[in-house]
Amino acid sequence: MDRLMQTIALIEMAISCAVIVICLIEKIFQVSMPLSARIILLILLGNLFFWPLGLFMELPIAAYVRGVTGDLSIVSMLLLWSALLPSNKPNPIAFKVSIAIVAVIFYPLALGLSMLDPYTWGYGSIVFLIGVLVFAVICGLANWNKGLWMIALAITAWTFHWHESTNLWDYLLDPFLGIWAIGSIVNSFRLKRRERAQSGYLFRAG
Amino acid sequence: MNRVIAFCFLLLAAVLGFLYIDSRPTWAPFQSATVSVVEEDQSQTSPTKKSSSVNKLSVVHPQLDWLPDTGAASVHAASLIGLKDGSIRAFWFAGSREGAPDVVINSSVFDPKSAVWNAPTVVMDRTTAEKGLSRYIAKLGNPVPSRSADGRLQLFFVTVSIGGWAGSSISTISSDDEGATWSRPHRLITSPFTNLSTLVKSPAIQFTDGRLGLPAYHEWIGRFGEFLRVESDQVIDKRRMSSGRSAIQPILFVDNAEQATAYFRQTRSGSALKQIPVSETRNAGQAWETVGDLEVANPNSAIAALDLSNGMRLLALNNLEAGRHRLVLLMSDPSNTAKQWQVVQVLEDDEALPDEQRREFSYPYLITGDGSDAHLVYTWDRKKIRHIHFGSAWLAQLQSQLKDQKKEGGQ
Repeated sequence: MDRLMQTIALIEMAISCAVIVICLIEKIFQVSMPLSARIILLILLGNLFFWPLGLFMELPIAAYVRGVTGDLSIVSMLLLWSALLPSNKPNPIAFKVSIAIVAVIFYPLALGLSMLDPYTWGYGSIVFLIGVLVFAVICGLANWNKGLWMIALAITAWTFHWHESTNLWDYLLDPFLGIWAIGSIVNSFRLKRRERAQSGYLFRAG
Repeated sequence: MNRVIAFCFLLLAAVLGFLYIDSRPTWAPFQSATVSVVEEDQSQTSPTKKSSSVNKLSVVHPQLDWLPDTGAASVHAASLIGLKDGSIRAFWFAGSREGAPDVVINSSVFDPKSAVWNAPTVVMDRTTAEKGLSRYIAKLGNPVPSRSADGRLQLFFVTVSIGGWAGSSISTISSDDEGATWSRPHRLITSPFTNLSTLVKSPAIQFTDGRLGLPAYHEWIGRFGEFLRVESDQVIDKRRMSSGRSAIQPILFVDNAEQATAYFRQTRSGSALKQIPVSETRNAGQAWETVGDLEVANPNSAIAALDLSNGMRLLALNNLEAGRHRLVLLMSDPSNTAKQWQVVQVLEDDEALPDEQRREFSYPYLITGDGSDAHLVYTWDRKKIRHIHFGSAWLAQLQSQLKDQKKEGGQ
């Protein structure tokens, strides 16, 4: 069972690494690949990351990445993987703001700022679970079904002990998700300011 | 339609979540050892009654030896556990230097009858750890053995994938044959930040439901103690024992089923007091509060603690504000309500030597074999591991002398 869990975790990491590489390729070369090309590339790169390549490396590349990053949360993983879908829409700014606020408060406390440790809530707090469910319902009511699915899948994965962790937080949030949310908000503001500046330049009274 | 299906799935997830939480074990009391305080025997204490020094002992002195040499240039962080046949198994890490990729966790068994350590074996190396954990491991550290409720031997040890000890996490292996063979390693998840920076150093205690309470600590942005509730190879809950950047490597004294005291290695900066920080719990470790310092000097070095069956408590530590060149044994009598500690034996002392010649005596670890004796191991100048066995008669005599001193002091 443990071996299966480790293999699944490595497969997940290999897919995540492959998705990141595909997204980088599209970003750098400013191309949008068709879904079939993405899937073929995903299979090729996924295998490259998953199998040990020998040479000077004892482990698959995904195992080296996993050694540094740990397992990604289910929410992070699904957000990342969904980037390959052609129907993928931008994630709502309210979701990013929520994640950013939670991350900014959560991590300092979880890393020892005070005697309060919100990470312990993830081991079995009903109040915390209700809070997460309420957040998921809000996502659904706001017509963001992807958020609803992601949180529901994260809770389900936690109950089945899908990853090594027994803590619900580890299925919902990871530092990379927090960094992505903060970076994404900053980027949105930067773009808006640039748009405003450009429109101001174009329509400035002569 | 998609939204309806998603809500239905969320409902299913919610039900699963509540069922999961409902199935989780409730927090159990500590399994506290039955303390049988031996009443003072006047006839035994009379020969030493007038003695003011606790070092003048008429019984067999502690027996000193070394853990087997593996040929490694650097050894550190030894720990001990009693085996079912009465022998003692030691673990320690050894390699070219602390934190080097060639560091392995060694083990050896001490036969108390022959007073001999057997040939050391390698319990874990870096390659085995990374294959078992399916991730890159750069180095290994502190091994801490424990006994699970089902009788298996369990070894917690530190692994680092990136950076220094701040990048540590805890892994565990178990053995059905008292340490001859070991299972695949499992990783304990203890921190939300890529599981970084949790280490172990001190022995675990047991709850009445058979689960383990493992004192651990963070050593990165914060330096604080944490109390992990461990079931088999999983952390099922944890509690913070201190906060900030001043206390690591907690050791525990269990007072009763609900109360325990934790002493820490201080990591304070600047001119802050170099003493032992203390935390206490009154609800079996569910909540801890810091209660000031124990007025014993601590130079940012590890402490070892031991409860004997008669209630006597021992500490082994460097009672210095700087340096690790003196190691002492302290004792506290259970009848002493003030819980005062007294140095009863200086184990190592290089105080008289110039700074550059002073050696390091550090990372003590104490266990008892039969409840009345004590085995101590510690790092000796990073080159060897010293083992000292304090016999029950010797410790009992120290206890008597402490009581005599207390009486004399009270008169």
